[in-house]
Amino acid sequence: MNAKITVTDLNFFYGNFQALKNISLRIPENQVTAFIGPSGCGKSTLLRLFNRMNDLIEDIKLQGEILIDGKDIYSKNTDLIQLRKNVGMVFQKPNPFAKTIFENVAYGLKVNGVTNKAEITMQVESALTRAALWDEVKDKLNKSALAISGGQQQRLCIARCLAVRPEIILMDEPASALDPISTSKIEELILDLKSKYTIIIVTHNMQQASRISDKTAFFYLGELIEYGETNQLFMAPKIERTQNYITGRFG
Amino acid sequence: MNKYLIEKIIFWIFRIMAFLVVGILFWILAFIAAEGMQVISWEFIFSMPKEGMTQGGIFPAIVGTICLMIGSMLFAFPIGVMSAIYLNEFLLPGKLKTFINLMTDNLAGIPSIVFGLFGMALFVNKLHLGDSILAGSLTLGLLVLPIIIRTTETALKSIDDTYRHASYAMGASKLYTIKNVVIPMAMPNIITGLILGMGRVSGETAPILFTVAAYFLPQLPDSIYDQVMALPYHLYVLATSGTDIESSRPMAYGTALVLIFIVLICNLTANFIRSIKN
Amino acid sequence: MRIIDKEIQEIKNEISEMFDLVQHQLARSLHAIIYFNLESAKEVMLYEKRINSQELMIDKACEQFVVRFNPVAVDMRFAFATFKINSHLERLGDNAKGIARFVKELDKGFDPQLLERLHLSDMIEIGLQMTKMNLDAYLNDDSSTAKQVFELDHKIDIINHKATDIIADYMKENLEEIKPCLALISTIRKLERVGDLNLNIAEEIVFYVDAKVMKHSKEFKLKK
Repeated sequence: MNAKITVTDLNFFYGNFQALKNISLRIPENQVTAFIGPSGCGKSTLLRLFNRMNDLIEDIKLQGEILIDGKDIYSKNTDLIQLRKNVGMVFQKPNPFAKTIFENVAYGLKVNGVTNKAEITMQVESALTRAALWDEVKDKLNKSALAISGGQQQRLCIARCLAVRPEIILMDEPASALDPISTSKIEELILDLKSKYTIIIVTHNMQQASRISDKTAFFYLGELIEYGETNQLFMAPKIERTQNYITGRFG
Repeated sequence: MNKYLIEKIIFWIFRIMAFLVVGILFWILAFIAAEGMQVISWEFIFSMPKEGMTQGGIFPAIVGTICLMIGSMLFAFPIGVMSAIYLNEFLLPGKLKTFINLMTDNLAGIPSIVFGLFGMALFVNKLHLGDSILAGSLTLGLLVLPIIIRTTETALKSIDDTYRHASYAMGASKLYTIKNVVIPMAMPNIITGLILGMGRVSGETAPILFTVAAYFLPQLPDSIYDQVMALPYHLYVLATSGTDIESSRPMAYGTALVLIFIVLICNLTANFIRSIKN
Repeated sequence: MRIIDKEIQEIKNEISEMFDLVQHQLARSLHAIIYFNLESAKEVMLYEKRINSQELMIDKACEQFVVRFNPVAVDMRFAFATFKINSHLERLGDNAKGIARFVKELDKGFDPQLLERLHLSDMIEIGLQMTKMNLDAYLNDDSSTAKQVFELDHKIDIINHKATDIIADYMKENLEEIKPCLALISTIRKLERVGDLNLNIAEEIVFYVDAKVMKHSKEFKLKK
């Protein structure tokens, strides 16, 4: 198994508060890895370390190492723009910009310096197709992105992320704000995408994690409690705390 | 049964209060309109005052007010918007931010006549600008600055952080994000602030008293160093001084009507912009 | 106690009753065969219906448990294990019924000495013991007790190992007893099945509690 992301002895602090304790794990390439755990366990925090979104917060401290493709992403020479091009993110609540559908998908391309109109148009169509949204919006690319449904908006956000051709996609509860049908479309999309991308998804929904992920990591109070094949973890977890969480007997 | 009755009575009291407010507004408008409508005519709006301001029109005052509205905004808008962007996008919550916000609020609370005095001392005298559109615009600009800062800040704050994060996550810098995501989304509300500010400026009398307003200047300004007439001051002049107060009284009301009309247009435009955004 | 735990407890209670019924059936068929007691045999036939309807009810309860709770981990293994244990218990009851039926069809009882040489009552006792141990293991989530059941199955094997020879010899010398002897052979086969079924139940319990699959595994076959 190729480890796309390797985390070693990671400790992470917000000010005096230690959000992550001694985390070590390897995220495999071209698979879906789910992070589960109760609120405040650190799963979203860890996710955001992979594209350095936590840099936006003042007074943080990171010990340990995060390697993507063998390279330390917190080294002094890391090109942040390149990192964020390579590691895309989809958020919990769909957040398309108040621009046209076309402009939304083209945004990342323009940020990364693509100016050729024909190139942009082609990439936009490609991204929307990969996000299974092209057929639904091809006739209204110039309409506002806010005029489509929530589920479509989320797929638009995924297209926006795909347009810059990342290798890794981070998803923070991408379907939690959506209705069941939109949710299942997103899940189908994720399964489709995993052959070409490495996907990490944070989710509160146990069934979702067991449906779509290959490996699952369970976090609790900043620690990695158990990490293994999804089928194994949901069939016969090795740690009692994991079992208590996934069967709902927590707290 | 008792509770229901009390509730009904209280709601009726609230209802009456609300209508009272609307009623007062309409009363003022009706009153002014009744007294001033008679003088409204093309001549009134587009010609110069004559015969000691008992006849003719108020055109120079209208032009003057419009010049001051635009002039004050030319100063207040860029400075105000840039300050607001700094405050909301760059400055972290802390002692400095609290301090600046406090000072902005204080600036907003300074009586307008004090602005006038300050403007006279600094712009008219110290900087030798004299009584001029320039001095008046700068003074009014100072007055409306905190309002622009506040409304712009609110507009920027109303843009949820998730949009900024989505942009950062694609590799965009903070500046790029502000320019391409935040400002476009906040623009309707920022423009609304601008227009409401203009409406406010149009009616300010005290700041222009010693910085630009002319008592009687039946000509249009040639440059920004000229004095001008202005509607609020002109209203005061027509109603209290002047050669023949009684006969110029209707014109005072007419002037008030024009002034109210300008403010009304500003407010309705602001409302319109807000509604098309939604 | 969470709702799911209450539900699990209720299903366990129903299975417990199933175990109870089956144990009584085995005991009755023991009585019927050893003492040639027609009354006991008739009772077994009567209670058979009870077992069938209990099986259906447990099946339904398990289905609803899965639908409602979407169980994972131990809860899911509980559901699957219970489904299978339910089915094994029903077949246990069936075997008891089969044994009782022979009694009805015969004219007279078996030669007590023959039964003595075959250790028939021992076989049934062991079967009963296995069933009891399984019940305890299931109710208490105790896989070590379940594993002890594997040992007992060996004992049955050892006993009936020689059974065919003993009966064959007997038949040679008592030609008029051929029909009852054939019935006896069938009975012994059924008692073997009782041992097997209990073994299966024990395997399911180990799967449920330990998440270890013991079926077809070399681990315990080696002990033979």
